[in-house]
Amino acid sequence: MKAVIGLFIAAVLFIGSNSLFVVNEWETGVVFRLGEIVKSDLEPGLHLKTPFINNARTFDRRIQTMDSQPERYLTGELKNLEVDSYVKWRVSNVERFYTAMGGDFALADQRLSQIVKDGLRAQFGNRTVKQVVSGDRVEVAENITRLANVEATQFGIEIVDVRIKRIDLPRDISDSVYRRMEAERNRVAADLRSLGAEAAERLRADADRQRTVTIAEAYREAEQTRGEGDGQAAQIYSKAYGADKEFFSFYQSLNAYQESFSNKSDMIILDPSTDFFKHFNRSSN
Amino acid sequence: MAWNEPGKPGQDPWGNSGGSSGKKDEPKEPKKRSDQDIDELLKKAQQMFGGAGSKFNGGIGGIGGGAIFLIVLVVWLLSGIYIVDTAERGVVTRFGALVTETGPGPHWHIPYPIESVTKVNVDRIRTTEIGYRSDAQNRSGSVLAESLMLTRDENIVDVRIAVQYRVQSAGDYLFNVKDPDESLRASSESAIREIVGKNSMDFVLTQGRNEVVALVRELTQKNLDDYEAGLFITSVNLQDAQPPEQVQSAFADVVKAREDRERLINEAEAYANRILPQARGQAARIVEEARAYRDQVVSRAEGQADRFTSVVTEYKKSPEIMRERLYLDTMSTVLSNTSKVLMGAEGSNNIMYLPLDKMMGSGTGSNQSTLPLSPITGTGQNSSNNSNNSQTTSTPANQAKSETNIRDYLRQRELR
Repeated sequence: MKAVIGLFIAAVLFIGSNSLFVVNEWETGVVFRLGEIVKSDLEPGLHLKTPFINNARTFDRRIQTMDSQPERYLTGELKNLEVDSYVKWRVSNVERFYTAMGGDFALADQRLSQIVKDGLRAQFGNRTVKQVVSGDRVEVAENITRLANVEATQFGIEIVDVRIKRIDLPRDISDSVYRRMEAERNRVAADLRSLGAEAAERLRADADRQRTVTIAEAYREAEQTRGEGDGQAAQIYSKAYGADKEFFSFYQSLNAYQESFSNKSDMIILDPSTDFFKHFNRSSN
Repeated sequence: MAWNEPGKPGQDPWGNSGGSSGKKDEPKEPKKRSDQDIDELLKKAQQMFGGAGSKFNGGIGGIGGGAIFLIVLVVWLLSGIYIVDTAERGVVTRFGALVTETGPGPHWHIPYPIESVTKVNVDRIRTTEIGYRSDAQNRSGSVLAESLMLTRDENIVDVRIAVQYRVQSAGDYLFNVKDPDESLRASSESAIREIVGKNSMDFVLTQGRNEVVALVRELTQKNLDDYEAGLFITSVNLQDAQPPEQVQSAFADVVKAREDRERLINEAEAYANRILPQARGQAARIVEEARAYRDQVVSRAEGQADRFTSVVTEYKKSPEIMRERLYLDTMSTVLSNTSKVLMGAEGSNNIMYLPLDKMMGSGTGSNQSTLPLSPITGTGQNSSNNSNNSQTTSTPANQAKSETNIRDYLRQRELR
């Protein structure tokens, strides 16, 4: 009897657990009847199903990331670029996702990766490096999102976003970029230095000019002042000396003698017949 | 043990779920006395279930079963109590479906397996680093693959940012995006590269820093909002924006060159500042000297003129005497100051030999006395200068100097 009851309870529990299932908030549920989908897009919560006949599966409905390895792409001017991109996607139609992908997320990643790479190749091929790097990054991403979505819809997938994470130049090209940058900086440095030398030379030259001009102007003023003095003096002299020209000549001569013979070593050879010795002569004779 | 009593008569409202076995029993009660087998079966069932059917058994076994049931029930119910920390939000799900979000404080949810709660810290500032990783000691190692990026002008810059964020909506954070933190990271990495790619290197490295950061934040936030990731970026910090290591020295050289330029200009300014005041001083001296000369000349003229005027006035009173006196005065002054030879050579043709050189040599400063005769030579020092100048067909400056010397000399003569 005990065994019968035990079995009965076990059976109840088994059936109960088989007729109930839980769909989490981040999931969506699908109910199959003998392999055929009968219900999809189940809301989160507790759900009922017929045991044995129905079975249920849940699928992650969150946004997934497909982050592929960086790949080389050729641009319009045949330059190689290393591009790292990622795709944000989610299951939009569970039924179709299940039929097309078997509900396999890894397989979906793989298929998306192929689609997106193909799209990127086409987009990059139409553009120059400059365009993809600076201008059209967003446009490229939007184009791919749109184009890839057409195919992805068939898999029950919605591509939320395609983003280009990195666009890098291959290593050897990077090196030449560095060399170019270096040369450019050297040019700027040389430019700055010579500009400095130029400015300095200008300043010096200007200072020298100012100095010369200042001194020349001072010289002019000085000569004018001197002339002024000379003129005034001449005027004073002529006014005073005009009083008696003959005496002036005599007086001036005497002054001149005094000044000329002021040194002991000056030697004068005198003739006794001069006027100075007129008394001298008379007494000796 | 008051809670045992309501359990005894089987009317315990808590025993509802347990009462399911009791309900099964009740229709069978009338058969109890007629069918002992069934009664026995029921007894066994009661023992097994330990439930509300204990009243048939009465006594000790019933009390034990009810107590265990109640303890289990209470423990089960108590297990639904949870406390949400100040910084956290509790997200309650019933059979996986979102029911509510609870704030800080104590709460209760229907216990497992019906409801469960996930606590999410919404106040903690989380950080993600792009272009570098810092460890616990705050040493940072660079991740070049992340930090090197292309600019619009096809240069490469080394940019490192730190993005700080927190959870804005716990529900969105848990349920909308698979690995939201990694999404934020990828999104901000994409954004910084997009912004840097749109700008020139100079802009990114210099005045554009703030703008770049603001745009990264805006772009990343918009992206996260599109995903409904439930994250809010509090700040984006530019840790470093540098030219790549390979070209650092060239960049440093530009900085040096800029300094060099400033230095050269400063030096030239110093030169100007040194010589210009000097020149002004020199000019002032030249002018002042000229003024001095003018005043001196005029004063002397006035003095001499006045002196002469006075003498003339006296002279006019008795010309002959004055003349004689002046003459004799002068001669005596002159003769008393000089060596003299008186020769009565008049009328005779005697040639006398005078040892002039000896006589001259006896006097000191003989050289000086001859100098005034030569208009070119000034003082002894100057004359040597001048002879040098004449030999080396002098530069203009020297010429100017020699001219000055001549002028000085002439001036001296005039003054004398």
